[in-house]
Amino acid sequence: MSTLVSPALPQAPRPAPRIALWMVLGAILGALVVMVGALFLLPPAVGWWVALAGCAGAAILAVAYAWERHNYGPLLVAPALALLFLLNIFPLMWSFGLSFFAFRANRLAPPRFVGLENYVGVLSDPVVWERLQTTALAVVLTVSLQMVVGFLLALLFEKQFPGRRYLLILVLTPMMLSFVAVGAFFRYYYEPTFGLLSQFVRIFTGQPFILLDTPAGAMAGIIFADAWMWSPFVMLLVLAGLVSVPKYLYEAAEIDRASWWRRFRTITFPYIRGLLLLALLFRTIEAFKLFDVVFLLTEGGPGTSTETIAVYVYRLAFQYFRTSQSAALAYIILFIVIVLTNLYLYFVNRRAREA
Amino acid sequence: MAAQRRPIGEAGWGRTLGAGIVAFVYFFPVLWIILTAFKTYSDALAIPPVWLFTPTLENFVQVFSRSYSAGAEAVATGFDRFFFNSIFIAGSSVLIALVVGTLAAYGFSRFPLRGNDTYLFIILTTRMMPAIVVIIPIFLMFQITGLAGTYLGIILLYAVFNLPFTIWMMKSFFDELSPDVEDAARMDGSSEVRLFFKICLPQVVAGIAATAVFGLILTWNEFLFALLLTGVETRTIPVAMAQTIGGDIGVRWGLLAAIETLFLIPVIVVVFVLQNHLLRGVTFGTIKR
Amino acid sequence: MSTISLRQVTKRFDKLIAVDAVDLDVGAGEVVCLLGPSGCGKTTTLRMIAGLEAATAGDVLVGGERVNELSPSQRNIAMVFQFYALYPSLTVRENLAFPLAAERIGRDEITRRVQAVAATLELTHVLDRIPGRLAEGEKQRVAVGRAIIRDPSCFLFDEPLSRLDVELRQQMRGKIKEVLSGLSKATVIVTHDQLEALTMADRIAVMRDGRIEQVATPHEIFAKPANLFVASFIGTPQMNLLPAVCRGIENGLIRFGVDAQEVSLPMEPALARLAAGAKVTLGVRPRAFDLAREPSAGTLSAVADLIEPMGAETLVHMLEGERDIRVVVDRTRRVRPGERLHMRPKPGQIHVFDATGGRVSA
Repeated sequence: MSTLVSPALPQAPRPAPRIALWMVLGAILGALVVMVGALFLLPPAVGWWVALAGCAGAAILAVAYAWERHNYGPLLVAPALALLFLLNIFPLMWSFGLSFFAFRANRLAPPRFVGLENYVGVLSDPVVWERLQTTALAVVLTVSLQMVVGFLLALLFEKQFPGRRYLLILVLTPMMLSFVAVGAFFRYYYEPTFGLLSQFVRIFTGQPFILLDTPAGAMAGIIFADAWMWSPFVMLLVLAGLVSVPKYLYEAAEIDRASWWRRFRTITFPYIRGLLLLALLFRTIEAFKLFDVVFLLTEGGPGTSTETIAVYVYRLAFQYFRTSQSAALAYIILFIVIVLTNLYLYFVNRRAREA
Repeated sequence: MAAQRRPIGEAGWGRTLGAGIVAFVYFFPVLWIILTAFKTYSDALAIPPVWLFTPTLENFVQVFSRSYSAGAEAVATGFDRFFFNSIFIAGSSVLIALVVGTLAAYGFSRFPLRGNDTYLFIILTTRMMPAIVVIIPIFLMFQITGLAGTYLGIILLYAVFNLPFTIWMMKSFFDELSPDVEDAARMDGSSEVRLFFKICLPQVVAGIAATAVFGLILTWNEFLFALLLTGVETRTIPVAMAQTIGGDIGVRWGLLAAIETLFLIPVIVVVFVLQNHLLRGVTFGTIKR
Repeated sequence: MSTISLRQVTKRFDKLIAVDAVDLDVGAGEVVCLLGPSGCGKTTTLRMIAGLEAATAGDVLVGGERVNELSPSQRNIAMVFQFYALYPSLTVRENLAFPLAAERIGRDEITRRVQAVAATLELTHVLDRIPGRLAEGEKQRVAVGRAIIRDPSCFLFDEPLSRLDVELRQQMRGKIKEVLSGLSKATVIVTHDQLEALTMADRIAVMRDGRIEQVATPHEIFAKPANLFVASFIGTPQMNLLPAVCRGIENGLIRFGVDAQEVSLPMEPALARLAAGAKVTLGVRPRAFDLAREPSAGTLSAVADLIEPMGAETLVHMLEGERDIRVVVDRTRRVRPGERLHMRPKPGQIHVFDATGGRVSA
């Protein structure tokens, strides 16, 4: 553009920035020196604060630097990114590093570098594959149940009718409940002597019914609780699709004498297709992490028949204290979640573009 | 005889009845817990279950203080403290997340950085990933720095836990604002600070409220971090509840139901208030409508 | 001094050239309308003057000073947005006062000015409402009020009346013109509505595909369109554009063959450069025909095909071979479909365009 700018034209003055880059870099360097010095030379209680003050000083200068240059973007997101780095990214990197060492959190032995051994160990461990199978089974069952129930619920609530708003609240509540509360509910309902389920079955068989005693029963119990909780989620997304269908399309279809099925397939379905896919992906990601309900309802039992991969990682880390192995396994899970999340966002963006 | 014509997209009382039955069945597990909370010890264990009973508040009293053996004097259970912890921890962490997250969301929405979408993706991933992935190092970090079992530690952790959600949610609200209004304010000589506080922020107040309430619920419900990182002093309700279930409570279902009822009521109120923002909330702001 | 000048201003979005080397001068007190079909770059041009878009090349001058590098707030420009861009959370009073906060003036002065502007624009009774609770016309007036409340170096309007219904639009056209006439500021109005442009502007700049096709007074734009695009864009019903061939000059008349028929015009110096056989386009407005009883030299004849009564006048679509000619006749003249009419273009109202589309006759 400079070729076309005629220099002869008068130009309104613009204040020159007073803080140069070298000042900021210098301050950061200084803060580092102060930090190291303070932490080593001063007593911990004082040193900690001095170090903090050093950081704050450097930070203030950096803020002023960006402010003068109207670099609001970095300025606004920096605190959030810093916090996320501190308590999310940094721990992630730590556990990534940990996954290459042999380390047990309950021993004093220093970590020993073992390369990919943990990953090899985890991936060749038949137990891990068994847990993954359990998880896959649970995910497939619970997600498909949620999709079906959620979809049917959405159809039920598609139209406007008196009291719809209040009835919707009743149906939507489970989704917002805590896993702990839901786990506790169903423990109570599945309880052999006093539980409602057992009492109900006893009417027919005369025997108390202990659902969680058999692997299949325990799995069914978990699936039922999880699907009860999350079907409203699918319903909510499908409903959003259903209400976004312009009314005039239905009116046109009515005049064109389209059958219910044809109307659904050609008008309704295109509007909810994208959201169904998003619901499926979102629920799959979440179900993949199935932990709390299992932990509270069956603790993985009977035996290990309902132990999902998330529960297994927890046990590896906090019960068997095979810390670095659990980190390796956690990273494999993370990888799968990242792939799924990427896919999810891809479809979210595609839907936003189409809208 | 022809049925009365109804506008397309509307249904009548027949649908209300059908949906009412379904909703009742669906809500039944929650309803039964709430009913059980008002039953006496023997009513709660009655076979077959009783529907009609004389309600009692005894269970709610016992949540906070009860005697642990027959005839012994009632002692405080500490649940008042746990409730306070839950409220205090959720409140503070959501406040931090809101301040930091709203600023960041505004930045991501209005002053896109190079690689803006990558940042946002990473942020969402940190929310989507299983807590179990980061919990080991966080546990170690907290042990080393002495943050384990302190309010500061858990509040900071929950603030970060809420941050991705807050950023995505608030960004979705900021993205909806008309850019013309901001252009107009800039032309009217408004500074960026004034623009943010006077023009943009007031327009997303409802969004902030929705985000805050969602964050409160998420934090209020959270179990795993709380289990591993809170001490006796800072224990939150979910952990206390889980411990009570596995502990001395046995088959005192009424008491358990009373704890749960106290725990659930805020959530149900929130669903009522938030209905219009629910979709955006449960998808972390990725789907608006 | 309140002027706006654009010097070779260009805006590129990646490969797309939205505004292409535009030159424009708006004098103090002058109202210039940027008129053109959607996507012609008129709004982008306006936003570059405002500083909401940065020019890829060229200079934007406000008050004689180059402002390319200045932010919108530093340019001291007031703008009325298409969707008004009222601050949704502030009352009308606060909306009107908002621009004054940047100028260091006292609280009393702010109150006084808000009252004055509100009185001028008949907004006094809605001062304490928020924009969401205003009628469309009131919102529009608040937007105008917010622009005129301070003393900017110039005014910009982006499709100011597009959201109003026909009646309000007429009222506001007058109102805006009245308000602007008292202020002697350079004003640029973007519109796609030619009636708006013709009534409000001192000069009109017709734009197409990022270029200015013609800048002239409304009268001149209408009477002497510089090229085929301006000719066809301005005026309703649209001007008839008839491909023709120059047949030569005879007795001070220049003759053009239109398909099988012939039209002749009085000779003008500008037409002298047309050689016999040159392909031209003749432009005749539908209202520039006289109906003749019988064919004669210089009349075109055609068969009435479709008849659209427009109230005071009747629009007749005539068919001549493959060609459609639109003619406006008085409503008292009854035309039946199938009737053959003979039309004589009114003298001096035939526009001649050469093969490149440029105007030939002066």
